[in-house]
Amino acid sequence: MLKQIYNSILSLVIGHLTVFKHSFKKRVTLEYPEIKPYLNNKFRGKHEFDISKCKACGMCQKVCPANAIDIIKDENGLSEYNIDYSKCIFCGNCYYYCNFKAIKPSNQFELATSDKKSLKVTYKKLENTNE
Amino acid sequence: MTNLLKTMEINLGPQHPSTHGVLRLVLELDGEVIKSCTPIVGYLHRGIEKMAESRSYLQYLPIVDRIDYLGGFFNSYAFCDCIEHIANVEVPEKAQYIRVLCMELNRIASHLLWLGTFMLDLGASSPLFYCFRDRERILHIFEELTGQRMMYNYFTFGGVRWNIPDAILDSISVFVADLPNCIKDYENIITNNPIFISRCKNKGVLSKKTALQYSITGPNLRASGVALDFRKSNPYLVYDKLNFDIAINSECDALARYKVRISELYSSLEIVRQCLDYIRQSNDEVINKTLKPVILNIPDGEYTSSVEAPRGLTSCTVKAGGKNPYRVKWRTGSYYAVQLLPELINNSEIADVMAIFGSLDVILPEVDK
Repeated sequence: MLKQIYNSILSLVIGHLTVFKHSFKKRVTLEYPEIKPYLNNKFRGKHEFDISKCKACGMCQKVCPANAIDIIKDENGLSEYNIDYSKCIFCGNCYYYCNFKAIKPSNQFELATSDKKSLKVTYKKLENTNE
Repeated sequence: MTNLLKTMEINLGPQHPSTHGVLRLVLELDGEVIKSCTPIVGYLHRGIEKMAESRSYLQYLPIVDRIDYLGGFFNSYAFCDCIEHIANVEVPEKAQYIRVLCMELNRIASHLLWLGTFMLDLGASSPLFYCFRDRERILHIFEELTGQRMMYNYFTFGGVRWNIPDAILDSISVFVADLPNCIKDYENIITNNPIFISRCKNKGVLSKKTALQYSITGPNLRASGVALDFRKSNPYLVYDKLNFDIAINSECDALARYKVRISELYSSLEIVRQCLDYIRQSNDEVINKTLKPVILNIPDGEYTSSVEAPRGLTSCTVKAGGKNPYRVKWRTGSYYAVQLLPELINNSEIADVMAIFGSLDVILPEVDK
């Protein structure tokens, strides 16, 4: 019985000393949003789309698990490229399998909004003025 | 009638913070003592199995990470392994080592989160912060490697997407060297603490017979004295080339489950060290490029792949037929642990429900799928 009490007190003292030791360690949290977290170049945030490289082959549409990409073609090729961020699950398949490197990941992750319509991003080809 | 007056029926959950998701328990109470318990699951059902039937194999691959979000690599591996076996494709040895490395780090991260939240359920808040702080280092490594912290999409059919850069290997080495000291600190705070022991010792006793009857696997089974670990009994990947011990405890209670998981942290670290040595030396390819994931045309066939996940045996059965899987079936460890709950908590006090439930390490997305 006495031994049990002694062991209990000893373990409590060791536990408290450990917690006390930890309180002098370096802080690990960031003061977000003032300080942004470090993100590497593989981070899968909002897409960066380069319409001049896109050949409208439809690969990204084919591999997207959430059907978030919509490609509209006309007789000249691509006319409109839509990404719906309310559906996108940021899996990265669209840029892993793009043959022309037209779509890339970016570090932009703050996509929260109160307007659902703004989550639909449309890229349109510029009109050819020489026509 | 007299029974109705004597007992009271209450709902625990589905929005209770200690249920680790959305589990509803209908408890029949006689004073403080639980007379019966009915778990009600399905609040987080997303139709993961049905989704496979309308998607190609490649489209389905990112979704499997979401079955158990704390062990995404295990699900990815189980699904990839099925496809590789049906298509009869060899995975390069280096890719196999990288898969083992990722899965073991994932197991450490999962057990650390379990330890933190389990202690929070028991009322100790400091270990939660220490565990999350150390788990965060693993998540940073995964983010550098795969691009995201939890939904990795890194394993692909025939191997892994890209090689591990040396900088990441170095940061894993530093982490592996640091973690034993961190685990020692957790043990200093927790293992001999009299309050912790009184909350866990002889609580939720899961006998060997009951565990086997209910198909319990993983650390919960090993804490009941059954030495079943799929990494040893049916070695997959390169586990037969690695030296490690499996943790067994025959005390059968919540304390035993805690001890088994702590020992597993050490054995996972041991595996990670051995994988690091191999990956540094090897200059092989990390992906077998004969399998073209986009135009994947695999023969009709069926295969079941089993993997020792942090919460027990996870197995995936794929019946292939044409462009889409004909049927995908997932078996996950937590589903069986929830069914076991009435056995464990009947006739215990209501204050012990969370200690017993927490010790089983149930995660609800895995239950509901």
